[in-house]
Amino acid sequence: MIDHEAADELLAGYVLGSLTGPDAEEADRLLTEHVPDCLTCRATLDAFQGVTGELGMVADPLAPPETLLPRIERELTGGRRRSGLRGWSPTRIVAGAAAAVVLVGAAGIALTHGGSGSADPLTQADLAQVQTMADQPDTQRRDLGGGTSEIEPADREELYVMGVGVADPRPGFTYRLWAVQGDSATFIGDFMPLDGRVALKVSVDPNAVDSLLVTEEPAGSTPTQPGEPAWDATG
Amino acid sequence: MAVQDTADDLELHRRLAAGDRSAFDELYRRYAAQAYGLAYRVTGQQMLAQDVVHDAFMALWRAPEAFDERRGSFRTFFLSMVHHRGVDQVRREQRLRARTEKAANLDPVEDEDPADAVAEAGYLSVRRKEVRAALTELPAAQRQVLEMAYFDGKTQVQIAEELGIPLGTVKTRTLAAMRKLRTLLEEAT
Repeated sequence: MIDHEAADELLAGYVLGSLTGPDAEEADRLLTEHVPDCLTCRATLDAFQGVTGELGMVADPLAPPETLLPRIERELTGGRRRSGLRGWSPTRIVAGAAAAVVLVGAAGIALTHGGSGSADPLTQADLAQVQTMADQPDTQRRDLGGGTSEIEPADREELYVMGVGVADPRPGFTYRLWAVQGDSATFIGDFMPLDGRVALKVSVDPNAVDSLLVTEEPAGSTPTQPGEPAWDATG
Repeated sequence: MAVQDTADDLELHRRLAAGDRSAFDELYRRYAAQAYGLAYRVTGQQMLAQDVVHDAFMALWRAPEAFDERRGSFRTFFLSMVHHRGVDQVRREQRLRARTEKAANLDPVEDEDPADAVAEAGYLSVRRKEVRAALTELPAAQRQVLEMAYFDGKTQVQIAEELGIPLGTVKTRTLAAMRKLRTLLEEAT
């Protein structure tokens, strides 16, 4: 039987974004396992979220910098909406990659992906091989931030995302991997680090991908458009 | 709050969801200043505030279906999103700054001057007064923890440490504040 007083405490902290550690984990469980089926908690959550929106009115309105609107307009004109905008055409990559992209994680790494296939987990031998390839002079490595790197071995139709000391995403969120080419991004899969470790193989023609992108997204959300990068990359 | 303005927001959102760019422009005109004011209040830096508002509007354009009118007003949805992203930015900055200062012992970045205050629609001004009045009706101890969490982006653990009170007390004060505000704001609507 759920203690709704305790649940309300968690929901209040959750909507304010002020939970950390075990409380954040508990809220995550509450939101995924209980709230969806509890009318009382859903009403409380909606009401508390309404309060956080109302509190935004306390701040004095300020004229945004003059650069903001042109910046937004550039992106609106350039596309990137799921539908209705010229230029945003996820099929540009999907057409070439959907059937080919296979995302494989090391054993134990929680992984979901967009129906693009499945394969056995990476073994210790696979990881050792990746490490060997990563040390080759003709292998390209790019920092993705957060302790992760994109590794592109020469002459192989696969990319790797490797990382250690990677922080877990916020409770209720997951890391999401995208393949980016030009203005288009294709969802590859969701993943969670295992003890701070990330080891993923993306089987795809590297020539069809400019770069990989990791975002932090609400767990279970529909992968329509990438949000902001999960981490600041150094290049 | 004027009922007509809420209805207008819903209509604008429906048009936005259908890809109507002019509806987006109108929502920007209505809420950019409030969103920026909030983002600046939370992040304390113009560049971060600009990023927050930019991201919020782009998220609105890219995924307008994220707003569900059955769950609240568009205004609270949008400002809640701005706040959430603002707190996110604060946390990222804290992590980045902690790493940078640890590595290079640099001085923290100085805050910049805020932009000018702006005129706004009357109903927003009225609602601001109502929300501020509701906030002042909270017991001081409850208001303090709420403001530290909301406007300073502090975690409950940080608040407990700064105030020298048990974490449990922060939780109960936060819940009490949220419940009372919920009631006061519903009464004022």
